[in-house]
Amino acid sequence: MRIMPGIRRSLLTRLSIWRILVMLSLVLLLAVLFRLQVLQADLYVNLAARNRLRLVRMAPARGRVLDANGTVLATNVQTFDLMVYPLDLRNRETAAEVSRFLKARGIPLDEGLMLARVTKEYTVPYRAVTLLPNLTLAQLSSLVSAPDFPGQLIPVPVWRRVYPAGPLVAHVMGYVGEVTREELQRYAPGDYRGGDFVGKGGIEEYYEGLLRGTPGEEALEVDARGRKVKRVAYLEPQRGEDLQLALDLGAQRLASELMAGRAGAVFAMDVHNGDVKVLFSSPGFDANPLAWGISGREWDELVRDPLRPMLNRVIAGTYPPASTFKVVPAFAALAENAVTRSTTFTCTGGMRVGNRLFRCWKREGGHGPVNVVTGLRDSCDVFFYQAGLRVGIDKLVKWASAFGVGEPTGIDLPGEARGNVAGPAWKLERFREKWYPGDTANYSIGQGFLLLTPIQLARIYAAIANGGYLVTPRLLEGAEEGVSARLPEKPLPIVRQGVEEAVLRGTGRRAGEYGVSVAGKTGTAQNPHGDDHAWFVGYAPVENPRYVAVALVEAGLHGSSAAGPVVGELLGYLCKFD
Amino acid sequence: MTVLGQLRVELSRLKDIDRVLVAAVVPLMVIGVLSIYSALAGKGGVALDMALKQSAWCALGAVAFAAAFAFGHERALKYGYWIYGGVLLSLVAVLVAGYTAKGATSWFDFGAFRFQPSEPAKLSLSIVLAVFLCRYPPKTLVNISGAILLSSLVVVPVLLQPDLGGVVVYAFMIFVALVLAGMPRKYILLLAGVALLSLPLGWSMLKEYQKLRMLVFLNPSIDPLGAGYNVIQSRIAVGAGGFFGKGFLQGTQSRLHFLPEAHTDFVFSVFSEEFGFAGASLVLALFAILLWRMLSTSAKSGDPRARILVEAVSAWIWFQLFENIAMAVGIAPVTGLALPFVSYGGSSMVSLGAALGLVQSIHVSSRPQYE
Repeated sequence: MRIMPGIRRSLLTRLSIWRILVMLSLVLLLAVLFRLQVLQADLYVNLAARNRLRLVRMAPARGRVLDANGTVLATNVQTFDLMVYPLDLRNRETAAEVSRFLKARGIPLDEGLMLARVTKEYTVPYRAVTLLPNLTLAQLSSLVSAPDFPGQLIPVPVWRRVYPAGPLVAHVMGYVGEVTREELQRYAPGDYRGGDFVGKGGIEEYYEGLLRGTPGEEALEVDARGRKVKRVAYLEPQRGEDLQLALDLGAQRLASELMAGRAGAVFAMDVHNGDVKVLFSSPGFDANPLAWGISGREWDELVRDPLRPMLNRVIAGTYPPASTFKVVPAFAALAENAVTRSTTFTCTGGMRVGNRLFRCWKREGGHGPVNVVTGLRDSCDVFFYQAGLRVGIDKLVKWASAFGVGEPTGIDLPGEARGNVAGPAWKLERFREKWYPGDTANYSIGQGFLLLTPIQLARIYAAIANGGYLVTPRLLEGAEEGVSARLPEKPLPIVRQGVEEAVLRGTGRRAGEYGVSVAGKTGTAQNPHGDDHAWFVGYAPVENPRYVAVALVEAGLHGSSAAGPVVGELLGYLCKFD
Repeated sequence: MTVLGQLRVELSRLKDIDRVLVAAVVPLMVIGVLSIYSALAGKGGVALDMALKQSAWCALGAVAFAAAFAFGHERALKYGYWIYGGVLLSLVAVLVAGYTAKGATSWFDFGAFRFQPSEPAKLSLSIVLAVFLCRYPPKTLVNISGAILLSSLVVVPVLLQPDLGGVVVYAFMIFVALVLAGMPRKYILLLAGVALLSLPLGWSMLKEYQKLRMLVFLNPSIDPLGAGYNVIQSRIAVGAGGFFGKGFLQGTQSRLHFLPEAHTDFVFSVFSEEFGFAGASLVLALFAILLWRMLSTSAKSGDPRARILVEAVSAWIWFQLFENIAMAVGIAPVTGLALPFVSYGGSSMVSLGAALGLVQSIHVSSRPQYE
């Protein structure tokens, strides 16, 4: 555009006017500030000093958590805290008065002790701290109704979390505790304030947003000595949402009894929609004292315990799957047409791969001619060495990944481990070593570098049972159903026949003694730190699979005797009460 | 020449930028970081984290400044419509997939941080107005309507979020750009008349709490503990600062949580309580220098598009600073507009940095070639 000089000049005039207006506006603001901060400063300084509002945060009641039958897993009891503003206690007279009042009622809190308690919680002079926690309604009302009740003490209702089922559901529920610095950063600024409670681990953490509710606030007007004059505003805290889980507390209790005294994990879910019925990790811990606050020493004992009770073995314990994994190479070999239903290898108790002898677990005489079904039934290692080598490691890894190995299952709990699909790429990166055929042989029987969580293994068997769908386990009833793309159907009936035979006539016989038809697989995982871990994973009823269950017994030695009966009895229970 | 070499040449022109302007902006950022720390100091560990985050935003703002400078205003104007299109897409996307806070769906949530596309939209709007108003000067009703229609493309999605504070900024920027691009006086009056007449309509669009804020602005004591609370408490904070202030971290108003949104909307109140009239006038002086130097750049530029671009950016910065401070001292209603360069916020800092980068690109290119 060409601009004539005249127009340009008029535009520059307007620009100058805009410039002058901007400057004038700033002068106007300066004038207002001068009036406020210089001319009327005394007035406002006074107002600020007399700003005698005390804001007290009111914690909301968390939503309750129920099991599938409505049994309460987590609820709240109301207690009361007596809170005080540290700046009020700085006044000696007030401190003496409060201490006198409490002592007269048998609460031995002298000034020194009181100050110590306040200093412990102290962050800034303007935040109320707890002087006396966990009073009952009766205790509180007898205090408050006394004529000489010091007005500086602020009674605040608080909700304490209780878990009636205690250690039984500790790993499912997690617990609540005061928000930490890291957590303050994790949540949006302003949502939480120091001293607030927040879910830690388990359902409490995962569904924090639903369970928490909205905190309220009470604004109190106080006099010059900090005594309550009246309540000027009150924002009621909003209760959190109640949640119902798919978990069956009865089955959970059975799992805990079956695991009594042994470390390990038990997990069971619906094969079709992933509804979690049992999720038990042993040893457990009691979340109740954690929610009420425990000492640093008790906490240390808990986290340093060599049995690691805080570890949720179901989702965060990773173990070599051993023979339970054999369904994956079986599936892979069938899907890749490396073997068929009738392909037969001969087991003589071992075979040579490269220059090393790989043994079958049955060293004496071997299994003789073995096909895929009898291979699964008798858990014949030689069959799987052969099949695995035929398929090749890349295809094995591909199908293991398709079954979700190396990926979290997506259950609605925090802290899930990924496990390790441990293929050649991983080995190269980790050990700077190439992949040998011997590694493939080891891989085919679930040993070597492979690591799975019990929940991942259960999910693999659920897919075999339900026609090839990888479901996402879910604890919350009615949570979104997650189902993956479907695996090829063709190999499934053959694999299913193999694991049925394993219970009918093979290594898993002990799982089939509980009144329901079970199909499943044992496993004995080498443990570098001690006795072998025992696995059993299976589903029931065979005719129309409904539930999958897995049991891992650490140092349990034999899958068939240590873990098989646990899964069998649990599946029997679930199917009977269905 | 390699891309890197070219970039080095572009950035070497940085030595010619307006150092006075930079010297005004940097202290504002420092004041922001200090005040954010102080505002949150009573809330546990967040204070240091937020102050550090804000420092990171300042650094990112500087990067945006350099990037926009290297990109240059010529290119920005050339691709003005494309940039605008991209911004519009992000504004629509945020309506669909955005994060909702305080009742408005204004943010993209990236986990570690959130981004508010309505902030860069302010810069993009300035660019597109500059391009459009020079191609179609606002001399006729058709051209004026065209400019308004074009700008309303960003107004509508922001209105739907709903972020009325943001919409008011856009409207003001459009108005200033039209006037400074030479809109005839009769149309200025017409536009002002239409705006006045549509006030009742605007009123009916407000949410209850927003109406209450307006009424409270007219008379804070009608609701001293509700909507009027903020205004009263903020005034007390500013006034209690006195001439020299109470000193860093000594303000009681924010520490007692009397001031809501102390690190964003009411950051000026926190600063004024602790640094008094002396500090508050310093902030005003820094903004005066900033705006004065920007408008000098505009006046010196021979390119009419560049002039309008700078003017629109000045309207953006001025409006937010005036409204924010006026709100803090209780002479304007509470709208939740951030104080440029000072309030907590990354999207705003980055957008402002980029805007100043373009302004400096204009500044450098309109310097006499010989000296």
